[in-house]
Amino acid sequence: MTRLALLLLAAAIASPAPAQTNAALEKRVAAYRDRVERLKDQDAIENLQAAYGYYFDKSLWGEVSALFAADGSFEYGQRGIYVGPRRIRQALLLFGAEGPQRGVLNTHMQLQSVIHVAPDGRSAKARWRGMVQLSRPNQNGQWGEGTYENAYVKQDGVWKIASLHFYVTGFTDYDAGWAKSAIPMEGPSALLPPDRPPSEIYRSYPGVYIPPFDYPHPVTGKPIAPPRPADSILKDRK
Amino acid sequence: MTSLPARIAFALALVPTPLLAQTPAARLDALDDRITRLEDANQVERVQKTYGYFVDKAQWTLLSHLFSEDATLEIGGRGVFVGRARVLEYMQTAFGPDGIREGSIINHMQFQPIVDVDPDGKHAHQRMRAFVMSNGGWGLPLYENEYVKEGGVWKISKLRGPFTMYTSWEGWAKNAVPNTRPESFAPPPDLPPSVVYLTYPSYNILPFHYPNPVTGKLFTPRLAPAGVYPSVP
Repeated sequence: MTRLALLLLAAAIASPAPAQTNAALEKRVAAYRDRVERLKDQDAIENLQAAYGYYFDKSLWGEVSALFAADGSFEYGQRGIYVGPRRIRQALLLFGAEGPQRGVLNTHMQLQSVIHVAPDGRSAKARWRGMVQLSRPNQNGQWGEGTYENAYVKQDGVWKIASLHFYVTGFTDYDAGWAKSAIPMEGPSALLPPDRPPSEIYRSYPGVYIPPFDYPHPVTGKPIAPPRPADSILKDRK
Repeated sequence: MTSLPARIAFALALVPTPLLAQTPAARLDALDDRITRLEDANQVERVQKTYGYFVDKAQWTLLSHLFSEDATLEIGGRGVFVGRARVLEYMQTAFGPDGIREGSIINHMQFQPIVDVDPDGKHAHQRMRAFVMSNGGWGLPLYENEYVKEGGVWKISKLRGPFTMYTSWEGWAKNAVPNTRPESFAPPPDLPPSVVYLTYPSYNILPFHYPNPVTGKLFTPRLAPAGVYPSVP
């Protein structure tokens, strides 16, 4: 009796305050866990997109297409949009046969990432710089460059590409360079038409299209929306 | 061997002092700081990478907004420009109005960042390579920049971008463009160059803001008055 009373008394005195404190601490721990998870998500997405590049380099189309979500989309320049891993794998044959080939370079470097993971950790967007080195047997090499604006989705704990859009800045002959050579983009394939037409119509170099920014200005917080003048080809010349 | 208090003191010295003093709340404060430093480093990288994306498309106004009010800018051998307004003036006078002109390509690619956030969480340094791919050829500036967190927002407070090399499309075996000078083109700077140096085929080492990550020792270039190594280091 006495012992029980003492225990109850001790519990009455001791528990309320620590219970509150613990709840507050638990809340903080949960918030910090979320922030650490978002950092890990960003790392995972960086690795995912880097993996895309390394597979693309070697024309490993099975591996590339497996990085996409079931309804993931692939859009490269003006080729149009292909939806789903199966269609994407087919479309990648437009960049050469599956697997590395003698005399072929498909180098697609994945650089300068600006990744933003959604607060709920289920989706993300990223801008990337793509430097490209192309080689085909008995042809001169090409330099290329462009911007990726991609979206990602986390499904069953795994990050996948929800949409990949490579905006081509330009391609040029390795020896000639930009001052002498501007290689136009490929249009939609007649042989393997895309599932959807290009989402944006533009011309690569000497055109100067500005791919939209998915994220706000890092200092002002306002949307990054520079004027995007129409291509001179479209200007009315009365 | 020794008195009891001395032995207790010795035992206590083995325990990291913060642990003794720290309540769970204090430990969470420390954790918050560490997570925040990681988020800060990411954001400082984003700011500098976005600077590169803005140069690509000659978006000078958007670019100038990345700078703090009293920021300084020093590019190549052009000298120092003081304040955000001068940053914008420098860009628009030297390179033309906002917006990239058709038929030009001025890719200013930002690679290889090394970011260090100060323990105060208010200042940061970043070394970053810029690789230039343009109509004119190739370029290799290097950045050692400083950043300040104002009102929870990271901004560029000091941009230093000396050039390693500029060359035509013919390549660096055949062509080397000399460094710029304060009078190379308008506008004139507010202050003379912080260091006078020559670009490739000469050489110069931009001091590192960080120590060697393995030895922990800071490498200090033995720069001659002209900012060029007196001999190969």
